[in-house]
Amino acid sequence: MPSVAELSQSLVNGVGIGLIYGLIAIGFSVIYNASGIVNFAQGVFVMLGGMFAHTLLTSYGIPIWLSAIISTVLVAAVGVLVQIFVINPMWRRNAPLFAIILATLAVQLLIEQVIILTLGDRPRTYPEFTAGGPLKIGTVAIPYQFFWVLGVGALLVFALTQFFNRTRMGRALRACAQNREAAALLGIPVERMLIVAFALSAGLGAVAGILITPTQYTAYLIGTPFGINGFIAAIIGGFGSPVAGLVGGVLLGVIQSEAIVFFGAGFRNIISLTVLLVVLMYFPKGLFGGLEKKA
Amino acid sequence: MSADTTHLIAVKDLAASYGHIEALRPTSLHVAPGEFVTILGPNGAGKTTLLRAITRLIPSKGQITFNGKDVSGLKTHDLAELGIIMVMEGRGLFGEMSVRENLQLGAYKLSGSPADMNRRLDKVFTLFPRLKERIDQMSSSMSGGEQQMLAVGRALMAEPKLLILDEPSLGLAPRVATEILSTLGALNKEGLGILLVEQKAPLALKLAQRVYILSSGSVRAELPTHEIKSHHDLARYYFS
Ligand SMILES: Nc1ncnc2c1ncn2[C@@H]1O[C@H](COP(=O)(O)OP(=O)(O)OP(=O)(O)O)[C@@H](O)[C@H]1O
Ligand SMILES: [Mg+2]
Repeated sequence: MPSVAELSQSLVNGVGIGLIYGLIAIGFSVIYNASGIVNFAQGVFVMLGGMFAHTLLTSYGIPIWLSAIISTVLVAAVGVLVQIFVINPMWRRNAPLFAIILATLAVQLLIEQVIILTLGDRPRTYPEFTAGGPLKIGTVAIPYQFFWVLGVGALLVFALTQFFNRTRMGRALRACAQNREAAALLGIPVERMLIVAFALSAGLGAVAGILITPTQYTAYLIGTPFGINGFIAAIIGGFGSPVAGLVGGVLLGVIQSEAIVFFGAGFRNIISLTVLLVVLMYFPKGLFGGLEKKA
Repeated sequence: MSADTTHLIAVKDLAASYGHIEALRPTSLHVAPGEFVTILGPNGAGKTTLLRAITRLIPSKGQITFNGKDVSGLKTHDLAELGIIMVMEGRGLFGEMSVRENLQLGAYKLSGSPADMNRRLDKVFTLFPRLKERIDQMSSSMSGGEQQMLAVGRALMAEPKLLILDEPSLGLAPRVATEILSTLGALNKEGLGILLVEQKAPLALKLAQRVYILSSGSVRAELPTHEIKSHHDLARYYFS
């Protein structure tokens, strides 16, 4: 049996990585809800966030906080370009949804190749945002970066919730998600809303990538694993509210990291995929899908 | 065409098809300012197709002028911006939003202060007091009649110049249907142009000044309602 200390440590690790999955999951949900598109290029935004931040920091000497902001804006712009040049032309021609989804997969591979050619295939990382640490509680070590992930994650989910419920644009996005034709009939420009959705979810992916790079690393190929885990988290959360996405991510992160303690590192993906199958088979609307409808 | 400037909306040779099925043959119709026009026709006549073609929810050929301006190239949301607002078949509510949020979204394209929003809300609540009682209820949990009131109320929040409705009485108890249609009549008395699609509803005929009979994708007749004396007359057009 693993000790209490081991279990607590892996709990901390699991929550940390789970919050990252949660942010990626919210990105999946924002686009899916506004359009029915599962954007498989979501993981690539995570990769770009870390890569851009690293480049700005090391090649241009820009302080990390500013690098983080610029990187997020740049990645959001990439999201907008993907929407305008790939998604929208297909959307207008009424392309079948699966064709659009395949196109997002192609976009992921394409961007990865561009990154190899321009920034190289070398993994890279940068220091934690706050030097020092980790914070020791008994034998459990909590890296300072954990608090950044927690703080930024909570702040973003709060801000997004306000955005979707209180602002005109946020409400319009939800309207597009629920009935696109009715939204258009009220004067809501649906295609423009989809651009907003892509910018928002690319930005969210970038933040996830920027936050996780110091505790792990970033490289052109991290998009796929992060994309898959974010996708599983989105399914657990039922592609619902930002809070549901974040909770889905944390659940997945904790299950993964406890599984490593119990069964060893090799079981991490087996457990995630088993969780995915169980959720798909028994809770097809996500763990909170049923609850939210009644609220 | 000089006639078009006297029309609120004029549709000329509008046609639409699904694949190679021509659901709407080239059709022309118009609504004068302040006019109440009803389109009648049996199931599958192409009524919904016609309205979806006018609002460009489906691709369609033909010319549309609104207030004398050619708007043929505009998209659904641009037409809404101009004041062409449709209550679609099946109501098109945002089911997971409250009554309040649905109504607020009705006024999406209108800028204005919270005071303007409240003024518009009050106007809708005067017409449909039941919506005020249910302001925070999720729209999908309301009764059919309440949902239809919300759909009409939401459209009114947009301050339409032309209100288009696709079978608002469908599936409602006669009393509720009458309540909603009478409200439309009252709005028309205030000068609102209305284009209403119905299948039966004698009241829709009483309220309207003019009626088009649609059958198998084309207009079979256009006549002032006072010329329709009995249902027998209508049946003749349906099946001719
Ligand atoms: N999406 C579609 N794809 C193919 N055919 C369609 C589609 N929508 C409608 N049709 C066909 O077009 C014709 C006209 O349909 P439409 O819905 O416009 O009729 P309607 O007059 O509104 O009927 P109802 O009174 O039942 O609502 C019908 O024959 C219908 O089967
Ligand atoms: Mg119909």
